[in-house]
Amino acid sequence: MDVATPTAENPLPSFDIVSTYRRILASDPDLTMPVAAIEALVEALAHSSVSTIAETLQLLERHTNILKASTPNPISLSAGTDLFQRYMIATLNRPTSLGGSVHLGPSDDFRAIRNHLLSSGKLFVERAKASREKIASFGKHFIRDGATVLTNGGSRVVGALLRRAAESSTIRFRVIYVLSPSTSSDSREGHQTVADLRAHNVPVATIPDSAVAYSLGKVDMVIVGAEGVVENGGIISRLGTYQMGLLAKSKGKPFYVVAESHKFVRLYPLSQFDLPIDQKILDFTVSDDDKVSGEQKTSEDEGVADLNPEEARSKCSGKNVDDAVDFTPPDLISGIITESGVLTPSAVSEELIKIWF
Amino acid sequence: MSEPVVREAGHPPVTAQADTTSNPTPQPQNDAKNATSTPSKGKPKLSGVELKKLKQAEKQARRAAQKAAGEQLQGQQKTPPAKDGQKQVPKDDKSKPLPMRRRPSNPNVLVAKEPKKDTKKEPKHANLFFGHLYNQPRLHSVVGASKDVHPAVLALGLQYSSYIICGSTARMVSMLVAFKAVIEDYQTPVGTSLARHLTSHHLSPQIDYLRSCRPLSIGMGNAIRWLKDVIIKIDPSTPESEAKRELITDIDNFIRDRVIAADQLISDYAAKKIEPGDVILTYASSSIVESTLLRAHLDGISFSVIVVDSKPLFEGKRLARNLSQHGIKVRCFSYSGAAHAVKDASKVFLGAHAMMSNGRLYSRVGTASIANLANSNSIPVIVLCESVKFTERVALDSIVGNEVAPAEEILSERERQALLPLKVNGEEEAVTTTNDVWKRVEEAKNLQLQQVLYDVTPAEYINMVITEYGSLPPSSVPVVHRLSTNA
Repeated sequence: MDVATPTAENPLPSFDIVSTYRRILASDPDLTMPVAAIEALVEALAHSSVSTIAETLQLLERHTNILKASTPNPISLSAGTDLFQRYMIATLNRPTSLGGSVHLGPSDDFRAIRNHLLSSGKLFVERAKASREKIASFGKHFIRDGATVLTNGGSRVVGALLRRAAESSTIRFRVIYVLSPSTSSDSREGHQTVADLRAHNVPVATIPDSAVAYSLGKVDMVIVGAEGVVENGGIISRLGTYQMGLLAKSKGKPFYVVAESHKFVRLYPLSQFDLPIDQKILDFTVSDDDKVSGEQKTSEDEGVADLNPEEARSKCSGKNVDDAVDFTPPDLISGIITESGVLTPSAVSEELIKIWF
Repeated sequence: MSEPVVREAGHPPVTAQADTTSNPTPQPQNDAKNATSTPSKGKPKLSGVELKKLKQAEKQARRAAQKAAGEQLQGQQKTPPAKDGQKQVPKDDKSKPLPMRRRPSNPNVLVAKEPKKDTKKEPKHANLFFGHLYNQPRLHSVVGASKDVHPAVLALGLQYSSYIICGSTARMVSMLVAFKAVIEDYQTPVGTSLARHLTSHHLSPQIDYLRSCRPLSIGMGNAIRWLKDVIIKIDPSTPESEAKRELITDIDNFIRDRVIAADQLISDYAAKKIEPGDVILTYASSSIVESTLLRAHLDGISFSVIVVDSKPLFEGKRLARNLSQHGIKVRCFSYSGAAHAVKDASKVFLGAHAMMSNGRLYSRVGTASIANLANSNSIPVIVLCESVKFTERVALDSIVGNEVAPAEEILSERERQALLPLKVNGEEEAVTTTNDVWKRVEEAKNLQLQQVLYDVTPAEYINMVITEYGSLPPSSVPVVHRLSTNA
C-alpha cells in the first residue's frame, strides 16, 4: 500500500467530482440524481488509483461530501451516495473476512477487487436505470379502466408509468395534471408528459395548484413521484405534494407514490421543518419590505433540482419556491410502488434496515 | 407497595412485621381461609353474589390480619378493636430486617412456597379487570427464600421490591451484575458439567427469587434468555474456571454492547433531534431520556424541558432535579396538568419498559395518555429504547399483561393525614392514625384502590422509535428485534 500511495494521491485533486456529476446528469435526461451521483462516484473511483480499502472508502467519502456540499438540496443525492457507500463497504469487507488477501497480498489483488467494484458499480447504475420500466409495469395495474388519475410535477417515473398505461390497449383513463405556471425544468418536463399523454389519446386536464381540492371529486387515485423516500415511509417531494396528500386523505382517495428503491434515504423527518436543508419558503415581511414580489410565487408548486443544479442552487438560496420540497408523512400514503414491489410505508424502514445491517 | 415508603419516610401504615410471638395463631387462620375458599370456588352452584360475598369476607379477613401485623411492627400496638376478632391477630414475628418494607412478610415458620400463596390471594377482590394480576408475588423479605439464593441476589431482590432499583434497564443490568457474583461463587458439583447444571440448578432459584420480589421486566427476561443460551453453548469439556471466566466476560460484553454502547448511540441520535428552542416534554423518568437531554445540553443546544410526574413513584422529581442541576431549564407538572403542559411542548421524549412487536410501547402507567395528548396536539412522540428491551410479544391492551403494585402506595401519608378527620357513616369518631385511615379504606366494601404500574401506548401515537440501530417507525420493531436476536 505504501508503494502505491504516491500514485494514488496525484490524480485526486485533478478529478472534479461535481462537474462530472453535472455532466452525467445533463447528458442523460432520463437520469435521476442518486443514479448520477453513483455514476460520478464510480467514475471517480475509476480515475483514481487507490490501492487499499481504507483509501477507497476515504476517497468515496471525500467525494460524497464535496458532491453534497455542491447541491442546495442533497437529500435525493445522498440517497444514492449513501447506498453506494454502503454497498462498497459490504463488498470490500467480504473478501477481507474471507481470505484476508487484500491487506496481506500484493497490490494486484486489490486491483482485481477494484475492477470488480467498478464493474458492479456500473451494473448498479444500469439496474437503477432499468428500474423505471419495471416500476411502470408494476404500477400500471393500479390504474383501472375508466379511472381518473391526479398527478403533479415532472416526475419521470410517473411519466413512464402513465405512458405505459396509455400504451396498453385495455386501459382507458383520464389524467388531471397539476402544473405550475413557472418555467422551471420540472414544469417543462410536466408539459412534455402532458403532450406525450395527449398524443397517446389520453385526455389530460391541467390545473393549477389551487384547483386540487376542487378537482378531487372527479379523481379516483393520486399518483406522485418522490425525490426521496424516508425511513418512516414518508416522502420528500416537490412542494405541494403534502397538501395533495392531505386532501386526498380527507376525501378517501388512494395516494400512491412511485419511486425507485435507490431513492430510499436514511432520514427521519418529524415535520416539514425537520429536513436537513434550509428552505426559505416562509419569509415574514412587513410592508416596507420590498421582497413582497418574491412572495408572490409561494403558491406555485414545483421543483426537482435534478436537471440543472446550477440554476437550482441560485433559486434555492433565494426565496424561490420552484425547487422547494415538502415532507408527506406516511399516514397519508397508501402505497409506494418500487421496482422491488409495492410496499406499504412501514415496509420502507424494513428495506432500509436490510440495506444497512 | 413500598415505593412511597422509600420516599416518604415516616409512612407508618400498613404492613410491617412486628416482634410478636403470636405466629401460631395467624397461620391456622390462613390455612383455614384457604381451605374454605377453595371448596367454595369448586362449587359451581354458588351464585355470583354469594361468591362475591365469600371472597370479600376472605379478603377482609386477610387484610385485617395483615394490618394488625403492620401496626404491631410500628410498635404502636394500636390494633383496633376491629372486625372479626381472630382475624386481627398479628401474624408476624420477624421485623428486624428491613423495617421499611411493610409487607406482612411471611412468618418464618412457613415454608418458602407458602408466603407466596399468601400474598397471592390477599387482594383478590371482585376486581373487574385486573384480578388475574393479583397472583403476582411481591416478596419484601428474604424469609422463605431458597437456601440456594446467592446473597447478592437476595439483596438485589429487596432492592427491586422496594423500588430502590427501579427502571427496567437498571434492573436488568443490576441483575446481570449480581449473576456475575453468582457465577463466580458457583462450583460445579461432581458428576455433572457446568453447562448442564448451572442454569437449571443454580441460576433458576435466583431467578425465581427475583421474580417473587417483583415480576421480571421484559429486558430482564431477554437478558436471562440470552444468558441461558450462552451457558448451554459452553462446551462441557471446558474447565470450570475457564468457563466461568468466559461467562463473566460475556456478561460484561453484553452489558457494554447492549446497554452502555447502545445508550451512547441512542442519546447521540436523539440529541440530534433536539433543536434550539425546543421544549421537550417527558413523563416520569427514564435514564436514557435523561442522558439524551444532558447530551444535547452539553452540545450547547438551548432548550427547555417539561417533566410531567405522577404519584405514587414521583420518578420525575429526581429527573427534574438532576436536569436543573445541570443548568437545563425545567418545568414540572403534575399529571393532572398534563394537558396544559403538552400545549407548550414541541416534542415528547419517552422512555420504555419494552417495545412490543406490534409497535406498541409498554411503559410507566400514564404514558399512554401523555402520548395521546401529544398526538392530538400533533406533537411528535419519540420513544428511546435499547433493542434489548424489544420483545416478540404483542400487547393489545394494558390489561392482559401488567404489574399490580400494592394499593397502599397510592394513598400517600399526607393524603391519609388529610383523611383523618373524615367520619364514615356509623362511626362514632374519626380515626386517629393514618394507619387507621388506610385500614378504613381497605375495609370499605364498595371502594377498592388499585394500582397498576404500566400501560400500553398504541403505535399510532408514536412517531419514532430511536434505538441503537437508528430511528425507526414503531412498525419496524419486530424487524430490529429479529435482527438483534439473530446477530
